[in-house]
Amino acid sequence: MVTRHDQTFFGVRQKRDRMSQALPEWEDLREAASLIKKHTVSHLADYLEQFEQNAVRNGVHVHWAKDAEEYNRIVKEILTSHGVKKVVKSKSMLTEECHLNEHLEQEGIEVVETDLGERILQMMKLAPSHIVMPALHVHREEIGDTFRKLIPDFDEIAKGYTAVSGSTTDKNDPTFLTFVARMHLRRQFAEADAGMTGANFGIAETGDVVVCTNEGNADMSTSIPKLHIVSMGIEKLIPNYKAMGVFQRLLARCGTGQETTVYTSHFRGPRPGGEMHIVLVDNGRSAILGNNEHWQTLKCMRCGACMNTCPVYRRSAGYSYTYFIPGPIGVNLGMLRDPHQYYDNVSACTLCCSCENVCPVKVDLSTQIYRWRQQLESLGHANTSKKMMSQAMSYLFNHPAVYTGVLRLSPMANWIPAPLMNLKLNPWAYGHQMMKFPPKSFHQLWKEKKL
Amino acid sequence: MSTREEILKQLRQNARETYDMPQLDHLKPISYADPIAEFIQKTTTTAGAKVVELKEGEQLNDVIQSIANALPSCGGGGAPIIASNLPGVEAQINPDTVAEAQELMKVDVGVIEGHIGVAENACIWIPQTMKEKAICFASEQLIIVLRRDAIVSNMHEAYERIAASKKYFQQYKFGTFISGPSKTADIESALVYGAQAARGVTVLLRSSIDNLR
Repeated sequence: MVTRHDQTFFGVRQKRDRMSQALPEWEDLREAASLIKKHTVSHLADYLEQFEQNAVRNGVHVHWAKDAEEYNRIVKEILTSHGVKKVVKSKSMLTEECHLNEHLEQEGIEVVETDLGERILQMMKLAPSHIVMPALHVHREEIGDTFRKLIPDFDEIAKGYTAVSGSTTDKNDPTFLTFVARMHLRRQFAEADAGMTGANFGIAETGDVVVCTNEGNADMSTSIPKLHIVSMGIEKLIPNYKAMGVFQRLLARCGTGQETTVYTSHFRGPRPGGEMHIVLVDNGRSAILGNNEHWQTLKCMRCGACMNTCPVYRRSAGYSYTYFIPGPIGVNLGMLRDPHQYYDNVSACTLCCSCENVCPVKVDLSTQIYRWRQQLESLGHANTSKKMMSQAMSYLFNHPAVYTGVLRLSPMANWIPAPLMNLKLNPWAYGHQMMKFPPKSFHQLWKEKKL
Repeated sequence: MSTREEILKQLRQNARETYDMPQLDHLKPISYADPIAEFIQKTTTTAGAKVVELKEGEQLNDVIQSIANALPSCGGGGAPIIASNLPGVEAQINPDTVAEAQELMKVDVGVIEGHIGVAENACIWIPQTMKEKAICFASEQLIIVLRRDAIVSNMHEAYERIAASKKYFQQYKFGTFISGPSKTADIESALVYGAQAARGVTVLLRSSIDNLR
């Protein structure tokens, strides 16, 4: 499992490398993206006003939400006032952040995730383990079993597959299961009363919302139902089309190692006879801007490159983190959300700094994790035994006489019976055999000129 | 204070350092000696689509009908259901006149027009020149008609053209770049074409001189 996970995501990282090496201007693009985001984020109030003005002129309803609660309430009100019973939804980490689905389901509104990975997870009642490829940790057998159990017209769809593509001997073949999901989801699009999308980018100068997908599910969700609700974090804004060129070229290359996503859709207004709403969500983002050491996390465009390259993420997978966004960016966003709840994630980093080197917008991810670690003491979350060890070592290394004395006595530890030494009290013995101290130390051997 | 004002006020207070918008003119984006050849190459490899080049003397509608009839999984043996609003293209369904977008879900072949082709990634820019854009996504198969002289090297050039188009901003509420058929790798990272939208895309390149109108 770990090996497969590691290999899958390192494969994506390698595809990203090939993309970056194919473009001579790669580093200039990253620098431009970083500077554009720095500029936009530091002028965000002005750009939000401009964006709102243009969106309203295009016939869009714009709403503002300061936190998850207000956001959920606004969306619920839009849906209930339109008598919506079923909503089809493309992937959005923001709705995950605000727990929108649970909230709507409590109100009796059926929410159907339409990204294949998200739909699988929704049916299995699991959380995403990656922000771009959320269900890669699930095996095809589990997916097949879930579909057979939960898709009511599974057998009928399977017959249709035989008619189109011939029979398949593997009942969990990904092509077959994707076909089943296709037919199942296309029925949902036709039946839904509203479509919801996130936003990869908002363009201030024109009021566009840009959504990028490979499956076309955001487009299906918004082409058939007449009501479209966009959920957008306020940091998603960029100034204009010129800037959009930079980000469009980076997003898929960094995220999945493709030159582009299949669909890059610009929504600027409602469908004929329809309605379009944009909910601008703060939920802590404006406060992050005031944080001198961590405000640059607002540049992030959620491509997932930092987790694909992270050796800790690749070997431990998404669920080993306590925040819903894993990997380097998740460690930082979790700390900004609530350091007392999510401080344990800062250990999930080797400080190899690979994430900083692949980030398309140059967020200083590992530097920020290092800073958080320095703050653990003042946050009251420093590990007590590590703290004691550090204090003891500090005393030892600052007092040479004590150090030499202890060193001379250390071989005596070899005489302590093993059961006493390999206690839980001795953290070294957890998973290790206690080492043997040599009779003479390096210092002693050096002085006796035996080295 | 309303939520809106509260958010804007906090953003203004918290933005301590401000940064200028960078000059993007120094970017030297990749540019191809033969963008059309590169576009065909990318379309038929990474994007997973087909390219058909319209030859001199051929009529657009004839070629479209023959492509449509030869496409897999169309019509179950009978004639495929074609949808289009392009003048001169024979179609049973017109996205401008359907009562509901749902009607476009039974379409076998949607025929639409691309306005810009991008060589670096096989993207084709399709503004919503029809009433129901569902034709671009719900059709089983898509034929995108594109003029050879509408192909540019990279996305910067494409966005520059779009930004300069007054007509686009005045008339259309939507536009999308499409690069090949809908695809997914969400099940054990196996690449599968035909996730929810078009299962196949054929790009029909026609010359700058109009074969059609």
